[in-house]
Amino acid sequence: MSHPPVSARLYGPGGPADGMAASLAWRGQWLVVSGGEVVLHTLAIADLRAEARGFNDSQLGLYWSDDAGDHVLILDAAALAVFREAAPAAFGHRLEAVRQAQRRTDRRFRWGIAVLLTALSLPLVALGLFLGFSDPLADWVVKRIPPSVEARLGEGVLAQTRAQSSLVASGPVFDGVQAIAQRLAQPDEKLRFYVADRPEINAFAAPGGVVVVNTGLLRAAGSPEEVAGVLAHEIAHVELRHSLGQLVKAAGLRVLLSAGVGDYGPLTDWGARLTELKFSRDAERAADTRGLERLVAARIDPAGLPRFFKTLEKSEAGGTPPALLSTHPATGERQASLGAAIQALGTPAVEPIPVDWPALQAALPRPR
Amino acid sequence: MAMDEVDYEIFGNEMQFVEVELDPGEAAIGEAGAMMFMQDGIDMDTIFGDGSAQQGGFFGKLLGAGKRLVTGESLFTTVFHNEGNGKRRVAFAAPYPGKIIPMHLAELGGTLICQKDSFLCAAKGVSLGIAFQKKLGAGLFGGEGFIMQKLEGDGYAFIHAGGTLKELILAPGQTLRVDTGCVVAFQPSVDFDIQFAGKIKTALFGGEGLFFATLRGPGKVWLQSLPLSRMADRIVMSSRLASGPGARSRDEGSLLGGVALGGLLGGDE
Repeated sequence: MSHPPVSARLYGPGGPADGMAASLAWRGQWLVVSGGEVVLHTLAIADLRAEARGFNDSQLGLYWSDDAGDHVLILDAAALAVFREAAPAAFGHRLEAVRQAQRRTDRRFRWGIAVLLTALSLPLVALGLFLGFSDPLADWVVKRIPPSVEARLGEGVLAQTRAQSSLVASGPVFDGVQAIAQRLAQPDEKLRFYVADRPEINAFAAPGGVVVVNTGLLRAAGSPEEVAGVLAHEIAHVELRHSLGQLVKAAGLRVLLSAGVGDYGPLTDWGARLTELKFSRDAERAADTRGLERLVAARIDPAGLPRFFKTLEKSEAGGTPPALLSTHPATGERQASLGAAIQALGTPAVEPIPVDWPALQAALPRPR
Repeated sequence: MAMDEVDYEIFGNEMQFVEVELDPGEAAIGEAGAMMFMQDGIDMDTIFGDGSAQQGGFFGKLLGAGKRLVTGESLFTTVFHNEGNGKRRVAFAAPYPGKIIPMHLAELGGTLICQKDSFLCAAKGVSLGIAFQKKLGAGLFGGEGFIMQKLEGDGYAFIHAGGTLKELILAPGQTLRVDTGCVVAFQPSVDFDIQFAGKIKTALFGGEGLFFATLRGPGKVWLQSLPLSRMADRIVMSSRLASGPGARSRDEGSLLGGVALGGLLGGDE
């Protein structure tokens, strides 16, 4: 059995500094090193030392010494494979040690990279966990926020609303809204209803049981039942403490995002905003369902809420959607799910709300 | 696939360009944007990957292109082939002050490990691969990162070094400590690792960093005196638009501070 000679580079005393090409061949237990046609060295296995060398330990260094000095043969990765094949068994275990050294380098590299990547992705993992468990986490935090803090937050929101627009605190408009609210709210609930003189079609709930309706919404609504539907939805937000939950989630999300992607302004902001939107859509769906239950319990026609959405849809067609929609699910989708839920209720007993709607609308302040 | 044997000539002293002479049918590959001029009869073609024979098939090409992306080069390589009858020339210019090093890969054993971004041009058939630095210390602190470029083939490849070039032949076991970032290329028989600067005082106040790159022979190594990043730092630092620590921009704005006081007291760093 004969193997092709293996090419290598020979460094040693008397030779050129950057080595010379040599070829290696095994003759029994002897390694013959030749340059061109001339045999330069004939070496016994016992005199040879093998070591992994070079970039990434990918090469083989063969060392030996004689009277002239130290000699080195360097074999590259391809030559090493051929050389290993041809080597006598007595030399095999030394090459095995080299192979193990090479594997060790590879293994360390893989582990190192794995650790590095893990460390780099930790904030992202935390972010993923947060997104996955945001609801129970937010609930846990919200449960630990005392009512006094919640009330203070509500007062703050109310003060801001007062600063931005005047509140309608008396007259037929105010009385009408309070009458609708009375039907909806249970006596033991600490809910406060306000009417803000603003043109946007919007209503919102703040922590501490504050519900604010814009005059713009009252103008757009076609009946007291429609307003009742919106109020029931907002009361559900209060009941489920959504605004607090969203505050907690938004704060946590921003902290994690800035840890994950760094303080990379636009990206962090975008990511946070997008996720907040998703949070709020989930909350809206929950509020829709809960609001519907409340309407039925108060013997108010639940069809008012989907009807109001139809009104919204009309105004939506005219360009920019009203503020109420920006953080809400698509109106069509909501209408469909609400319609299905109402259908499932059958025909609940309803009593009309005793509010003179045309008179209330006539009493609305002029839009500015 | 046989490599195309190209003749070349390097012009200039500190800002060089290389003129490659192509026989009819021969081709060279260049880093995108490196071409300076080409004569009539040379056809330019943009290919996906590096045009070497190893990249058979679509996936091979995709892999090659991906590797180029990792080393910070563009996905596409430009091939310049001579479609004329006589010898034609195409020139590639270095992107910043320094030296162009002609590497005859066959004489160097067929493989060369380079710092990424140093490639300028090569005979068609030279493969541009990546070589991961598998020694973690060297990857993290060696100044070249984990990704190096591997040139394989037996034709000419031209790489570029910043500043002045130092070519060294290391004897077996001979070790050289190099400031991180100054290594341009080395033969694969050379060990590339790092070494702690040794003394805490030197590490903290010496300004040379915590680690040296160490190169251990046997084999050839090529060092650059001025890594591009170092020059870029200085340019940014002295820019009028610079801000932050180390910026010396305001010196020039004020008459007293800039010319008299700042100039005398500040000296030249």
